[in-house]
This record gives sequence, structure tokens and C-alpha cells, in this order.
Amino acid sequence: MAERADDRLLRLLGIVAYLDGAGPVPLEDLAARFGTTPAQIQKDVDALWVSGTPGYWPDDLIDFDAASIDRGVVHLTEARGMTRPLRLGTREAVALVAALRAMRATGAVQADPARSAVVESALRKLTDATGEAASAVDVRLAPGGDRQVVAAITSALTAGHRLRIRYVTSSDVVSEREVDPVRLHTQDEYAYLAAWCYRATAPRTFRVDRILEATETDVPVQAHPGVGERSAEIDFAALFAGGSSPLATIRFAPRARWFAEEVPVESVRNLPDGDFEVTLRVTNPGWLRSTLIQLAPYVRSVAPAALADDVAGAAAEALALYATGGFGGAGTGSVAGDAATSANQH
Amino acid sequence: MTLNPAERLLNLVIALVNTNAAMTKQQVRTAVAGYSDAPTDEAFERMFERDKDMLRALGIPVVTVGTGGHTDELGYRIDQDAYALPSIDLTPAELGVLSLAAQFWQDKTLQTDINRAMVKLRAAGAGDPSADALAGLAPSVRAVGDAYGPLIEAIEARRVVTFSYRAAYNGTVLTRHVEPWRIAARDGGWYLMCFDRDRQAPRVFRMSRIESRVRVTGPAGAYEIPDFDTDVMLGKAHGEVRAAVVAVRPERAGALRARAKAVPDSEREVYSERLPDPGGATAGDRAGWDILEVPYRSLSGMASEAAGYGAALVVLEPEAVRTETLRRLTAAAALGRPGVAEVSCG
Repeated sequence: MAERADDRLLRLLGIVAYLDGAGPVPLEDLAARFGTTPAQIQKDVDALWVSGTPGYWPDDLIDFDAASIDRGVVHLTEARGMTRPLRLGTREAVALVAALRAMRATGAVQADPARSAVVESALRKLTDATGEAASAVDVRLAPGGDRQVVAAITSALTAGHRLRIRYVTSSDVVSEREVDPVRLHTQDEYAYLAAWCYRATAPRTFRVDRILEATETDVPVQAHPGVGERSAEIDFAALFAGGSSPLATIRFAPRARWFAEEVPVESVRNLPDGDFEVTLRVTNPGWLRSTLIQLAPYVRSVAPAALADDVAGAAAEALALYATGGFGGAGTGSVAGDAATSANQH
Repeated sequence: MTLNPAERLLNLVIALVNTNAAMTKQQVRTAVAGYSDAPTDEAFERMFERDKDMLRALGIPVVTVGTGGHTDELGYRIDQDAYALPSIDLTPAELGVLSLAAQFWQDKTLQTDINRAMVKLRAAGAGDPSADALAGLAPSVRAVGDAYGPLIEAIEARRVVTFSYRAAYNGTVLTRHVEPWRIAARDGGWYLMCFDRDRQAPRVFRMSRIESRVRVTGPAGAYEIPDFDTDVMLGKAHGEVRAAVVAVRPERAGALRARAKAVPDSEREVYSERLPDPGGATAGDRAGWDILEVPYRSLSGMASEAAGYGAALVVLEPEAVRTETLRRLTAAAALGRPGVAEVSCG
């Protein structure tokens, strides 16, 4: 796709303002600074060279030292007054300041005084330069889990040390694992640790609030194939994906709409009465069972029937505990009573 | 000579920065490189207006001044003091933090905003970014969606917007007219905080439920934005921290344990007689439960979490949490086919 005119203009003006302060700069360095190719910088220089004030006589034009260009060095000799870098626009300031404020509040930054100080000073300089326009957007990410856990992860990441963690899965199973940490990633409401897991001998992503304990070892991390810096984002679709997993269809009352918004589903169908129906792959039955119990007052129907029975069975088993405990059966209704007679086999 | 748009814009900026007083439209057309390409008056007018808009969007305002003398003709110029970035002296570590902030947003429009900001900041001569201070840290926030652009524009200009919105309580879709105040991200959702003109009251809308394009309508400066706290308006700050007492099976509900504390043995007696009876129908004995005190803010959140653990957890106190938990379990138990839950367990 061709570059937009406004983006290129920004770079053209940026190059002149930067070179005015920086002196001669190698073409490659200039390309790296402005995130483009040396060939594009060469084109930019060619365009700047013929630009200037009306009249466009040689003295009117932005000028470079020709001999330097031949050596691959860009040396500005006439800026035609275009020496001032541009102010940040409101939208630009909003996007940067909101991101920095959100970063400042993450556990990974809070747990490390040095990081905190850098983010804080960057934010201060930025707001000094842009004014307080940025309150239009307010983002807060996950609190990010236990302070000691986050501190251990941060320290291990910085030192390149293996971690020993105790982790509880969404199906409520606790395990001890040794992992080589790769990245601490905060996405929306949760912080995640991306790591190589020696137990699974595969890359794994761990939710930080489910890491019950983390201990930094003195074993250096190793290189693992497939654990690159590339996969910066948590691929939620992949976490839930599984082409061969069975499909489930659930019909919800409108109040449960967040389910369709936050859980990766195959499809959502809005029904005329305001209900909606989602279809999803059952890759984690324990999680789905638990979630459907939580949402049960808003669940109209569940298919296939075996899944509905599974959910109902788990709930009946729990109701039985209330019915037999010292509470009496108030509020539990007859369902609990029925279930109590037979829910004892698990 | 035919110039591409970026080069025409560049020459316009240089001309309007360097002009003594101002340039008239006619002077721009005849003197600035690129504008003589316009075949007709209309084509020139369109080109000039579009270019001014684009410059304004980049943070380079073209100001209009009277040219004096005996004509009403307007003059144009660019005031460098109005667009120049105040000196901002970023360390490599701070620039590294800002580069990281650039990965924060997943929306294309926000990425464009950030990339522009970075080009401007790099033109201001900041050193090369260093990511050392933030090794392995990569926060990001869920995509906010297409509504962002018009809403930010409306907030900045204090203009009214309209959109159609799906209500959560009954699923109906209605057109809303609101005065946008702020956009906020919390717990994985994006919210619009605004004054609802139809209801004549402040309202919070969940942006994922906006079903149409957001249209900015009406004049600028149509309202004022009051001082308010995001979390108070979202209701997140309300609700003190309360404590629930729950009985949990050993080794279960690890995520909940992570924020709970054990009830001292001396107080255990009070609860143990209310635990499921060892001689009862359920598999378990009074000794086989850990009694924990769990902090919570939201009644429904606590009850959902408790219900989700099924028979691994029994709520002991308070009554309100117990009732809400039972409501969920009872509804879930009713989802199965009649009689099947018992059969599958028995």
C-alpha cells in the first residue's frame, strides 16, 4: 500500500528538524530513526532538495551537502527555517499519555522502582510538553497479581533466570512447574507470563493472578525453539481453539451479553426477543462447566444435552452440601433435596 | 512539474512559515509548487481546503489573517510558535518506554496516532530508544473499535454524538443522543461516560454494545465536561471490601485461596457444626474442609465465583452471598434433563 501523504509529510519535516540539530547522519541511521528504509530516505532527501520557498531559485531551496550524500551521509546545509519539531496533536497526546498511565499502574512497573521512575519521568515530560489534554481516555489494566510473585517474575526476567512456580489452572488444578520466563504481558483485565514450561516441554502462557508462588532460581534460561519475541500478543483464539473439539450451543438472556463479548465464540446469533445464542468449541470442559454455573440464572438452554446434564450434575452435587449442612435447606428448594439423595458418588 | 501530495504539502508549509505577513489564496495558487497543477478554480479550492484540513490534523494550524488594505481578501500563514514542540529532553530509557506504549493499542487509528507522535518525538532529537529498563514487559489493551475516532473528536470539540445501542437488560436497540465526557477501559471492557440527552442524566455505555457508527452532530462547544472520577462513575469505587467465610476442599479453589486468609483454629468451632455432616449423604467430613475468609466487593461477583467452584466450596457467611450462590446453583441444576443429573451421578 502506498504511504499516506500526511505520514510522509510528517517524516519529511521530521528529517529536516532532526538533521538541523544533529549534524551529518549516516543514511542507515536516519532510516532506523524514522522507521523506514534507506531507499525511502534517499527519495525523501531528493524531494526535500527541490522544495523550498516560492521562486524556487537555488537559494530558496532546502539544501544538502552533495559530497556527503555520495558517501551515504546526510548533511543538511540549509533548512529554510523548518527547524522546529512539531507539537503533538491532541489525539497523539491522548494515545501516548493514556498508554503510559496504564503502564504506570501495572504490577510489573509497580514492583520495580527503577521502572516506575522511568515511566513516571517519561509521563511527566510528556504532559509538560502537551498539557493536560489527555483525560479524555482513562485506561486501567489488571492489578496484576501478588506483589511477591510479580517481583520474582520481574527479577527473573531481568536476570535471565529460570522460575519455579505453583500454578492453579482455570479447572482448579494446582501444579508445580519450572519455567523459563520470556515476557510479562498485561492484556486488559489480566497479566500473563509467557514462558517455556519444562513440565509441558512447550511454550505456555500463565495468568499471573493464578500463580500462587514464584521462586527465582539461579539456573540461566535456555533458548527454546518457537519461543520468539514475535508472539507479543496473547492469542486468545488459540487458547480456546481446537478444530476437533465438540461444539456447544448456549442460549442466554440479554443480561449475559458480556459472555459473547469476552469469550472467543464461533458465532453469535441475536434473537428477536433480545436473547442471543452463541456457538463455541468446548476445549476446556472444566472452565465451561464453572462458567455456566456462574451464569445459570441467565442461561435459557444448553446443547448438547450431555453438556447441560454435566453442568446440572455439578450444581446438584454442590446443592447437596448446603442441604446436608447445618444451614437447613432454606432457599435451596426441592432440587437440592432431590439431588441430595444421589449425588454422593464423586 | 507534477508533485505528489506530500511534496505539495511540504512546499505549502515552507511557504506559509517563511512568508512575511501572509499569502493570499491567489498567491498560493500561482507561487507555491504543486498548486498550479489544479486545472480549475474549483479544483484548486478543493485541493487547498483539503490540504489545510490535513495540516490541522497533523498539528500544523494554518491561520487566517486579514491582509489589510482595501480588499476583504484573507491571507494565510503558519505560525511556528503555534506548532512547535516545547523542548522535551527524553532519555533513551524514556524513549524506550514510549516505544513500548506504541505497542499498547491494538487499533489501527490509535497506532497511527502513536506512530505520528513517535516521528515527532524522534525528530526532536531524542536519543535512540533503549528497551533495557522494560525487558519483557509488554502491556496492551483490548481494541476499542471504530467508535473511538468520532468520540475523541466529539470530546475535544464538546459536540453531541448519536448512535444506536443495545440495552443489556432486555436486548432492545435504541438510538441515543449523548454528550461524551470520557472513554475508559476497565476489566477488559471499554466504556463511554457521558450525559444522556434523552434521559437527562449522566450515563455509562458499554462501547461493545454500540451497534451503529457514531455520528458527531451539532455545534462545537455544546456542553461542558464536569470534573468526575472514572471509577466512581463506573460504580467500581463503590462497595466497601467485605468478607465472606467459605469452606473449601483441600487443594481446591487455588485462585480464591491466593487472596483469602485462613480462619484461626479458635474460631473454626463456630463454623464446623455448620459444615456438611460427615454422616450425611455427601462424601466428606468436617475435618476435610479448610475454612477461609475471602474479601469481596461485589456480591454477585463473589456469589458467581463461589458457585463456579461447585462442590469444592460451601459458602458459610454472609447470608446474602449464600442466597445468591444458591440461586445460581439452583438454576444450573435445573438445566439438565429431568432425572438425568441423578442418573449420571448415581
